Amino acid sequence: MSRPPRLWISSATPAKGEIIRVRVQIQHVMESGFRLDWNGAPLERNLLTRFEARLNETLLMEWEPGASISQNPYVEFAFAARESGTLRMLWLDDRGMRLEAEREIILSPA
Amino acid sequence: MTSSFEPDRRRVLLGAAGAALGAALPLSGARAQELATTAEAQPDAAESDRIAAEFLGGVAPLAEGLAMELPATADNPAAVPLRVHVTEALTEDLWCEELIILAELNPLPLACRYRFSAATGAADVALRLRLIRSMEVRALARLSDGRVLEARAAVEAGVGGCGM
Repeated sequence: MSRPPRLWISSATPAKGEIIRVRVQIQHVMESGFRLDWNGAPLERNLLTRFEARLNETLLMEWEPGASISQNPYVEFAFAARESGTLRMLWLDDRGMRLEAEREIILSPA
Repeated sequence: MTSSFEPDRRRVLLGAAGAALGAALPLSGARAQELATTAEAQPDAAESDRIAAEFLGGVAPLAEGLAMELPATADNPAAVPLRVHVTEALTEDLWCEELIILAELNPLPLACRYRFSAATGAADVALRLRLIRSMEVRALARLSDGRVLEARAAVEAGVGGCGM
């Protein structure tokens, strides 16, 4: 979990109201809790439990993933750029990992 | 030797065989699958339907307005790309409150839940699913005016599906 998220946004300087697309991926095992180790003991569940994206303090999207989400979860979403600010993203998992990423969004003058 | 001892002994033997093969791929096929996971596919869509009914809360879902992009065949069932989006334009007065994705036959059918706000201005998400076998994937989206939109698509999982 030491690697920073891979992040792409369609535009950092959008026009007001433009739809911005965000693609972001982190490294994470997404251990489902269903698997067994070589001794037949279950491997402890370690799933991503939450992702959220905010523009400044305004919540844009929150995501509660489950066991059906692939390893190294990929998240893509879109939002309308109505103000300039910092796009903040946050990931939490079962073991208390906390990962953050941010990107400045500046509205281009019309 | 008691029968309860049997699985342990077998595992030790298999482990030894694996080590002899260089431990890179100690097992292959169905036996490895059986040892590696306790996940079982749902026998039918009942659990998925129960979650969907809970989400619907008595509202009849509309079959239009929610688009789903899912490959018909998934060559890698451990990462099946899926995109779901509300097709109509969303404004500050009309937004998507909540969106759920159900992988009907997975051990836990509720794949994930999204929540948006009036500030989002879109409801367009993509992700990667892992699927235990071929199944239907279903998405439900609740809009702020109370409508619920539904989309579904079937996907054929490649060899044996993903063991979760």
